[in-house]
Formats: sequence, structure tokens, C-alpha cells
Amino acid sequence: MKSSFPRNRKIRDARDGYAFISLWLIGFFALTLIPLLFSFYLSFTDYDLLTPPVWTGLNNFITMFTKDPRYWKSVFATLYYAVAAVPLRLIVALAIALVLNTNRKGVAVYRALYYAPSIVGSSVAVSVMWRQYFGTEGIFNALLNMLGIPSNISWTGDPRFAIWTLILLAAWQFGSPMLVFLSGLKQIPSELYESASIDGASGIKKFFKITLPLLSPVILFNLIMQMINGFIVFTPALIITNGQPLDTTNFYALYLYKRGFENFQMGYASGMAWILLVVISVFSIFIFKTSSRWVFYETERGR
Amino acid sequence: MVIDLKIILREVDGMSKKLTLLVLTLLIAGGMVMGAGKAEPGKAKAPAKADIKIIWWGSQTRHEGTIKVIDLYKQKNPNLGITYEFSSWADYWTKVTTMAAGGQLPDVMQQDYARIAEWVKRGLHVQLDDYLAKKVIDGTDIEPSLIDTGRIDGKLWAINLGSNSHAMILDVDMFKKAGIPLPPKDWTWEDFEKIALQIHEKLGVYGYGVHMWNDQIWKAIYISRGEWIYAPDNKSLGYTDDTPFIQYLEMMKRLVKAGAMTPRQEEISQYAGGTQPEQTPIIFGKAAMQHQWSNQLSAVDKASGGKRNFALYPLPRVKGGKSANYIKASQYFSISSQSKFPDEAAKFINFFTNDIEANKILLAERGVPISSKVQEALLPLLPPVQKEVFSFVSYISKTGSPCPPPDAPRHGELISNVYQPEVIDKFLFDIIDAPTAAKILREQGNAILSKN
Repeated sequence: MKSSFPRNRKIRDARDGYAFISLWLIGFFALTLIPLLFSFYLSFTDYDLLTPPVWTGLNNFITMFTKDPRYWKSVFATLYYAVAAVPLRLIVALAIALVLNTNRKGVAVYRALYYAPSIVGSSVAVSVMWRQYFGTEGIFNALLNMLGIPSNISWTGDPRFAIWTLILLAAWQFGSPMLVFLSGLKQIPSELYESASIDGASGIKKFFKITLPLLSPVILFNLIMQMINGFIVFTPALIITNGQPLDTTNFYALYLYKRGFENFQMGYASGMAWILLVVISVFSIFIFKTSSRWVFYETERGR
Repeated sequence: MVIDLKIILREVDGMSKKLTLLVLTLLIAGGMVMGAGKAEPGKAKAPAKADIKIIWWGSQTRHEGTIKVIDLYKQKNPNLGITYEFSSWADYWTKVTTMAAGGQLPDVMQQDYARIAEWVKRGLHVQLDDYLAKKVIDGTDIEPSLIDTGRIDGKLWAINLGSNSHAMILDVDMFKKAGIPLPPKDWTWEDFEKIALQIHEKLGVYGYGVHMWNDQIWKAIYISRGEWIYAPDNKSLGYTDDTPFIQYLEMMKRLVKAGAMTPRQEEISQYAGGTQPEQTPIIFGKAAMQHQWSNQLSAVDKASGGKRNFALYPLPRVKGGKSANYIKASQYFSISSQSKFPDEAAKFINFFTNDIEANKILLAERGVPISSKVQEALLPLLPPVQKEVFSFVSYISKTGSPCPPPDAPRHGELISNVYQPEVIDKFLFDIIDAPTAAKILREQGNAILSKN
């Protein structure tokens, strides 16, 4: 009796637990898992939404890798974007977080203000605004002209600059990594800085010897989250440039959408989505594996 | 949902309290989920009432007019529930295709000449011959040839909402200001180029606005030569001589180089790709000519303030060629085979087509109405801009070429994956020259068409 009681209870707890989350489970199976598996099936078919899918084996993947130059252009554009935008956004986020990590009066207001762009950030409205900023007759050119630099460059329409307007937008939306950095900074014990000051360390030295190492787990978290965000960037490219000019901003998710919902090639789009999933997983695993070299956990080395 | 807690608790005495609570939670949650579907207060007791949904694409002018007509119809039919949805052309097909896949297609949907055959083939529309025979959709005042524009293999699937043709919109005030006479109606592309350059020289604005590269011009050039861009079996391009296409590309580049046409980068950056008539340079007085569909003149007029003088011109011809214009149903209304109330949908289409009051609101924004009675009633009421549209369409119906076949299947794929990115953009951004562009269009275009 005594020995069976905990076991019984364990089963009952588990059963109750599952029952309590059952609504979520239903949602997960119906809205996430089943569509996910269905899209895996679709990636081996031709499917135009209006007629039943036709099995074509690996055809979609063969086309993607060998016969579709726009596919590779979208891969390149996405990598270019991620490699430029993610570090830039993290640097800006960290810099602002450092500035805001003080106890001066009114700092809470600034925190809220700086976070605002991220709340509205992925929205259509901001993208429309960005388009106005960098249009041929936009505010940015007006500003340059005012400063005496004559410019009539179509920033979002010129293949040399278009992607950089999107990267700039990404950097401007630093709010959520900034908040994570802020909470990370707050956890660094102030005694460390005090003793460093007594030893005569400069601000820069303190930053590299104390702040960065102790912040490294937070950096890892932000890096992975932002990398995923970078790979699936969609709204700004759709609204600001619609993938143009010359496909320089035809990012992977946008091209996937166009194949799926403009050309109604759902099979091809599903295939693209699965490749993206694999690539993101590979990158995440890679970052995790290498992280042991540069991420410092206080608990690991013991005190 | 009323649950007497005490009774339930007594009955489940043996069960653990946790489990009881859990069951209750599930019951209530379940009840809420179920209830949400059927028990909206007030509606539950009313007798089964017809409900139709209408969907269309278009400009702001069209959205406003159509909504007003729907409100009018609601007033006249208080027992009918009507909902509606609208979007731009670009989003429309994404929306309705997804709806069709989910079995949620609205009862009445706007259709297009290029796509209707495919939708009918897939069984997504209701045949309308019966409604026409029984005069639910009254064809008494409609010329049979206009009804026939909605027929496929002799069966009626859609009702034409108005006739139109594509056109060159000319800003007459600007022509006057520059001292340039309006061209003859059978003008050629050479005339066009000369005029665009002159206007730029005299006024400093663009002679021509945006979207010159669009596939309608490609089609128009070959129609003017008496050819069609697709072969009769739709498995390849339908012409053998690339020279006219090459000349057209080179003309665009000359105009851009001279500053007489909006460069592609400015078009993307300032005019959102140039596909919405409200966002084109002619609206802002920055260009004197602009290609549009004739019915879009009212949107252009409204967006530009309604006080300027525009003229509709046929598209230029190739030298010695025929008219590049033809009369086409600007769009249709079709009834979805997923509709629960096709009869109600047909009645609405009849109202939209034949009711004079409704058409006074719509003011031929979808093209010249097909009912002769409606046309007569509208004529005295038309604002000058719509009079221009009516007389243009009637001119084209006398002088135009026959309407070409619908676009080949995979036309959309060809345009979005080859024509625009690989041919036009690469040419306009100086990556390739015109002969190479024509060659790419032929090779990659045929590769896509061969799958038909």
C-alpha cells in the first residue's frame, strides 16, 4: 500500500496535468503539428490549392536546387541581410542598453520610448512609413539636400542601396534584444565593477573583461533569436520593396510566399519552407556547439 | 449554459475533487467553444435567413461605390444578410484561392477574363443559363454579344460588369501648356516617343509615367501586328519575330535616358511599383501620359482632384499596323458553387446589372454598363470624365481589333518569374541588352509554357 501510493499519485498527477493542458494540446495538434506534417507531404507534390495534390517525388527540390536561379538569389539575399542586420541590431541594442542601465531620473521613460519602434516594428504601417522616408522624394533625400548634399537617389529602388534600407530598419527595431540585454546587465554584481575601479581599470577594460563575459549567455540567447528573425524576415521586404529591385530584397520567406500564394505552387513553397527549417536548425546547432568556447556560465567554473 | 454545481458535486461524490473540477472546467470550456458557433444572441431564434457574401478587387473609388450599392440593396431587402470583402488586384487572387481551398468562397465573386476558364474547369462556379432563361438575371435590355462574353463553350458562367479597353491617358492641359497638338487616334509608337520627348523638353516633366514595361504593352504590340503572344495550343510563344519587342525595350531605355520616362528605380521607390492608378506620376502632375484601363480613368480623375482635363487615347500602333485596342469585359460577377444561396446571389447580380439607381451610384466605374437602359439613363448624368470613357469605348467598339484569346495557363507564373524579374528588370537595370532580353523571354517563357 505504502509503496504503490506515490506511483498512483504520479499517474494521477500526470493525467490531471495532461487534462489541464488538453485544450492547448488540441490546439497544438490541430493548428501546428498536423499542418506541419501536411506541408511535409505537400513538399513532394504539385498542389495549386484548387485541385488535389499530385505526387512528384523529389521534383520540387531538384527544381529548387538546379533550375531556379531566383531561388539561389533569394538565399543569397537572405544570408546577406542576416549577416549584416543581426550583428548591427545586437550592437545597437547593447549600446542603448548600456546607456539606459543607470539609475538616473526619467530613465524608465526613455526605456519605453526606445522600445516603441519594436512594438510597431514588424507592422505594415512602419514599413509604409519607411518607404516614404527613403523614396525618391522622401524625407531622407530632403534631409540630405538641406545639409547641402544634393541627392535624388531612389534608395529603395536602387539595387545598390535597397537592401541597406531594410537593414537599417532592422537595426532601428532593437527594442526586444535591448530589453533582454538590460535585464542581463542588471544581474551583473556591482562589486565586480567597484573592485575593478579600485584596481584602476578603465571603462573600456571593464566592458571587455566584466560586462561582455558575464553577458555572454544573454548574447547567445539574443543571437539565436535574432538570427531566426533574420532568416524569416518578410513584412518590410513585401511592403517596402516587394522583393525588387533586381530581386536584391527577394528574401527567402517573401519568395516562398510569392511561389505559394501568387503562383499557387503550394508544393514548391512547402519544400522551400522545409529547407528553411533545416537550415535554421543547422545554424542554431552550430551556434550552440561553438558557444562553449565563448559563452561563460558563472556556475560552470564554481566558486 | 446552466450547470447546477451542487447536483453535479453530489453525483460525483466518489471522484476526487480535482477530477471533478477538471471535468467542470472542460465542460464549461467546451460549452463556450460550442456556444460561440451557434448561440449568438438574437440570431438563434430567427428563421433560417439567407446570407450572401460578395467579394471584389479594385480601387478606392470602386470600394466606396460598391459598398453604397450593397447598402441600398440591404434597404430594399431587409431580410437578407449581406457581408462583403474587398482588396487590391494583387491580393485578391491569393484571398479567393485560399477561400476556395477551404470551401469558404463568397457567394458572389468578381471574376476576370484571364482566369475564369480555369475556375470553371475546376467546378467552382454555378452555371447561369437557367437564371437568364427565368429572368432572375434579366437580359432583356442587354445585347446578346455582351452576355456572350461570359460564356465558355456555349454555357454562361459569368455576367459582364462593364466593357472597357486599355488606353493611353493624356493630360490635355499639359499638352496645351507645352503647345503640342493632340496626336491622331491612329498614332504610332514613333509618334508617341517624339511626343514624350517634346513634353519633357518643354515642361521638364516626364512625358510618360510608370508601368510602361507591363505585359499589356507587350501584348498590344503583337496585337497591332495581327499576332498573339501565345500559340493557339498555349505551349509556346505565338510569334516568331522578336524585333518589335526589342524595339519596344530600346524605346523605353531611350526615354528613360532622356529623362522623359520614370526610371524603374524611382517607380519602385516612389510609386510602389506603379500598379495602383492612384499612385502614379500623372496624378501628381509629373507626367503627361500613362497607360491604364479605360474604366480606371474615373479613379485617376478622382485621385487627381477632379478638376483636370484628361483624354483617353487608343494605344499607339506599330508602324503600318492595326489597332492595338479591343473591347473586353472589364470584369464579371460569378456565383460560387460553394454558395448556399445561389438564387439570392443571382438576384443581387441582376440588381447590380439592371437597377438604374444602383448604377447611378456606380457611375460606370467598372466600365460601360451592358444594359442599354442603364446606359441611356446614365448618359445625361455622367460627369465629363465618364462621358470620355463612354465615347472612347464606343469608338473602340467601331475601330478596334477582335478580343484576343484569354491568357495562356501559367501566364501569371511567366510574368512574375520570367518577364518582370529576368527580362524587364535586368534590361532596365542595364544587366542585359535588348536582344538578350528577348532571347531569355523566348527560352524561359517557352520552358514554362511547354508544361501546359
